[in-house]
Amino acid sequence: MINANWKIIIETIGMLIYATFMGFIFMGIERKVMARIQRRIGPPIYQPIIDTLKLLGKKESVSHGFIYDFGPVFALGASITALLFIPIANFQLFSSNADLIVVAYLLEVPMLGIMLGAMSSGNPFSALGVQRGLLTMVAMQLPYGLAIIALVQHWGTFKLSEIVALQQVHGWSITVPALILALIVFDIVFQAMLGLEPFDIVTAPAEISMGPMVEYGGKHAALLFTQHAVQLFAETTFFTVLFLGGASNLLELLIKQIAVLFIAIFVASIYPRFTVDQAAKFFWKWPTIIGIIAVLLTM
Amino acid sequence: MNMMIPLILFTPLIAGVLTWVLNFRGVRELIGTLGALTPLVLLAKIYPTLMSDGPITYTITVSGFAITFRLGTLNWYFATIASLVGVAMAFGMISTSRNGYDWLFALMSYTGVLGVFLSWDFISFFLLWELMTFASFMMVLKRSRHESLKYFVLSVIGAYSMLLAISILYAKTGALDFTTIGRYLYANVMLGSMGRGEIILVFVLFLTAFGVKAGAFPLHVWAPGAYSENDQSYTAFFSGALSKAGVYGFLLLYPLMGTELYYALGTFHNHLTFAYIISWIGAVTVVVASFLAVLQEDMRKLFAYSSVGQVGYILLAFGLGTSLGLAGGLFHVLSHAIFKGLFWLVTAAIILQTGKTRFEDLGGLAEKMPITFAMALIAVLSLAGIPPMAGFASKWLIYEAAISAHMPLVAGAIFLGSGLAFAYVVRFLYAVWFGQRPSDLENVKEAPLPLIIGMAILAILNVVFGIAPGLVTKYINVLLGNPVIAGNYYKLVTPTGTYNALSVTLILIVGLAIAGLIYLYGANARRIPVTDTYQSGNPVTDEFNLSMRRNFYRPLAEALGFWLRYSFDRFYERLASIGEDFGDWLRKGFYNGNVQAYAWYLTIVLIILALWGVL
Repeated sequence: MINANWKIIIETIGMLIYATFMGFIFMGIERKVMARIQRRIGPPIYQPIIDTLKLLGKKESVSHGFIYDFGPVFALGASITALLFIPIANFQLFSSNADLIVVAYLLEVPMLGIMLGAMSSGNPFSALGVQRGLLTMVAMQLPYGLAIIALVQHWGTFKLSEIVALQQVHGWSITVPALILALIVFDIVFQAMLGLEPFDIVTAPAEISMGPMVEYGGKHAALLFTQHAVQLFAETTFFTVLFLGGASNLLELLIKQIAVLFIAIFVASIYPRFTVDQAAKFFWKWPTIIGIIAVLLTM
Repeated sequence: MNMMIPLILFTPLIAGVLTWVLNFRGVRELIGTLGALTPLVLLAKIYPTLMSDGPITYTITVSGFAITFRLGTLNWYFATIASLVGVAMAFGMISTSRNGYDWLFALMSYTGVLGVFLSWDFISFFLLWELMTFASFMMVLKRSRHESLKYFVLSVIGAYSMLLAISILYAKTGALDFTTIGRYLYANVMLGSMGRGEIILVFVLFLTAFGVKAGAFPLHVWAPGAYSENDQSYTAFFSGALSKAGVYGFLLLYPLMGTELYYALGTFHNHLTFAYIISWIGAVTVVVASFLAVLQEDMRKLFAYSSVGQVGYILLAFGLGTSLGLAGGLFHVLSHAIFKGLFWLVTAAIILQTGKTRFEDLGGLAEKMPITFAMALIAVLSLAGIPPMAGFASKWLIYEAAISAHMPLVAGAIFLGSGLAFAYVVRFLYAVWFGQRPSDLENVKEAPLPLIIGMAILAILNVVFGIAPGLVTKYINVLLGNPVIAGNYYKLVTPTGTYNALSVTLILIVGLAIAGLIYLYGANARRIPVTDTYQSGNPVTDEFNLSMRRNFYRPLAEALGFWLRYSFDRFYERLASIGEDFGDWLRKGFYNGNVQAYAWYLTIVLIILALWGVL
């Protein structure tokens, strides 16, 4: 019993370090690939790590009060929680109890943390970012829900580990025609979840100077960078688990994650940004219709 | 023991009358609070008996009619929720209410609600239902005549529908108590003495009656006005417990006429048709009310629409027709009562201390009212369904139930609704608690102690039932008579999924600890004022309040432009004004002051009567 406990503790710590590291690398890949598509050289792949360490080493940071400090801490904590409930390759961690709905919710909690902090700063750009973030979330929630419902209806279970196991027996989700539709919907929503074009409405660097992040500097920003890395890792893993049959080892997982990431980056680099109401109208039209078809096919 | 039920029922009413008579500061509050506490204490005391000996009944005979009250597991559940919110309301009212009028009618409606939950026949059900409606109407009437009229008219429509339904049932069955009616209608499936048309008529009438009280779309229009033009401490009870009477009515349809309705209406794609209708009413209510809540500019209106939407969740869950759906709905009755009750008390505290209700007038209160803010945050987390909170546990059950009942579009409505819920609570957080503080709010103080106690009761329950949802589901298993939800106090297990609230909590704490360590590792932070922000080079001064409070979700309003042109509220208002004009025209046309004309009317009436054969 003690051995089992130690094993899970060591696994957890190892996985957190790995996930954070890989998350940063993903962020680096994102910048690099984007740069290559735009025929720039781009920063080195480990640039986000250097950035974060630099931010963490700042001699002074400013704060707008308790909630301002609590926001990023809460966001990172929630991202870590979400990560530990997802089955990552052959590491189960705490996912034996994990439920699709619970994880889907946990993946949204970090946003609340970021927004709490952003709102308490009192910066109008932050408020605008919060507004845009929430409206994007409202817009994407319906197709997102439909994709998840289609998936659950097909596999007949909410347990992530069972979904993975079933896919290993019956083939990946994307080999099922109805779930391909769900995949398309989920991938569109995924773009918004990662905050990439055409749905980078939240941060929109050229319009509202990074939105919720505008006030953050120093260690707060470092926390948010780390949170973004963990979240990126968790979300790509979530995608893999749901549609690409999970993974039996970390290498397989990594390949699938990078594939998912590359699609997201390619889409991001060719489309311009939607405005919020355009995004809402878009999400409630095609992805919703496709989602409804997927849901009805799997009924 | 036999006096237990009347004691539970009528203590609040008696206390209410006493507060009205002994209308002195201090005495009034003491009596009122004791009156509100008594039912809760008695219900807690009766719990072991209920569990060991089964339902307790109490019958009195009034002029030939036997009036039956019954305290079964279902009744106990609803009555306890009502009295929990009632106690919180009483604590809130100590701070917010300064007169006996409020206490009298608040406690009267408390009795009415408990009576509705404990009645086991239609006489007492209807009478106490009307008492509850009357008392809540009086609370609204004091503040706004227009809104109270709207509430009154819809309530009267509901009451007549219910009366008509009860009469039809009485004419057919000759009984008024639920047990006999239920048995008769069950047997009627074979006998067929009550036609299909009649059954459907009774169903529609009940749907109207309960739909009005639950605030189901499109009968919800009274709710925003009645909830906001009120003492907000009372609204905690109004929205947290009183609206549950409608929900309880929907639930009663199952034991009363479930089988009959199944035979009369059949099934639709493997769903019970009548339940399917209820479910869709719930789903539409969730979506419409949540969209409207997002677009409100007044915080009372926001929570009013949110209440309507959350009750929609409960109807939706009840309409799934599976035992998991019923369990989820029942749990949501509790969690909605505690988090929305908490929200209304927070609203009461804000209004008491600032006197403002519109978002554009508020802001930056988190520093001034830190305890109230903490309570508001708990309520926000619970309503938005953030995992270790009561709101998540119930919502999770509804998700599981809706998806496993193969009602995907209804489940889609929940997803949309919870996204919207997230949006409107964050808007409330931002507009009220953060940003630049308007200069006239500099002297705002923390909420008074009784109000904080009231809030704390509900806030603690939100956390306790969130971390240990098994406490509730165990009872719901007993209530439904079969173990729907397995697991232990911390873990819920349904046939298709699991949710371990404790492990989520613990891991969240670990995650927060890790993040906290990184935070502590960094350099100390220097505190700067809210005006010291990045503004693309423009300095921020106190003269211009840059916080975005008005029309926060304008892009959404633009995206929804087409749909917002239609409103049932406006439709009813127009209908009412047409009726008024017509009445006016009639009055002017007929009562023209000409005696000769009046003589003609009399002649015409007499001729009609003669032709009819009356004379």
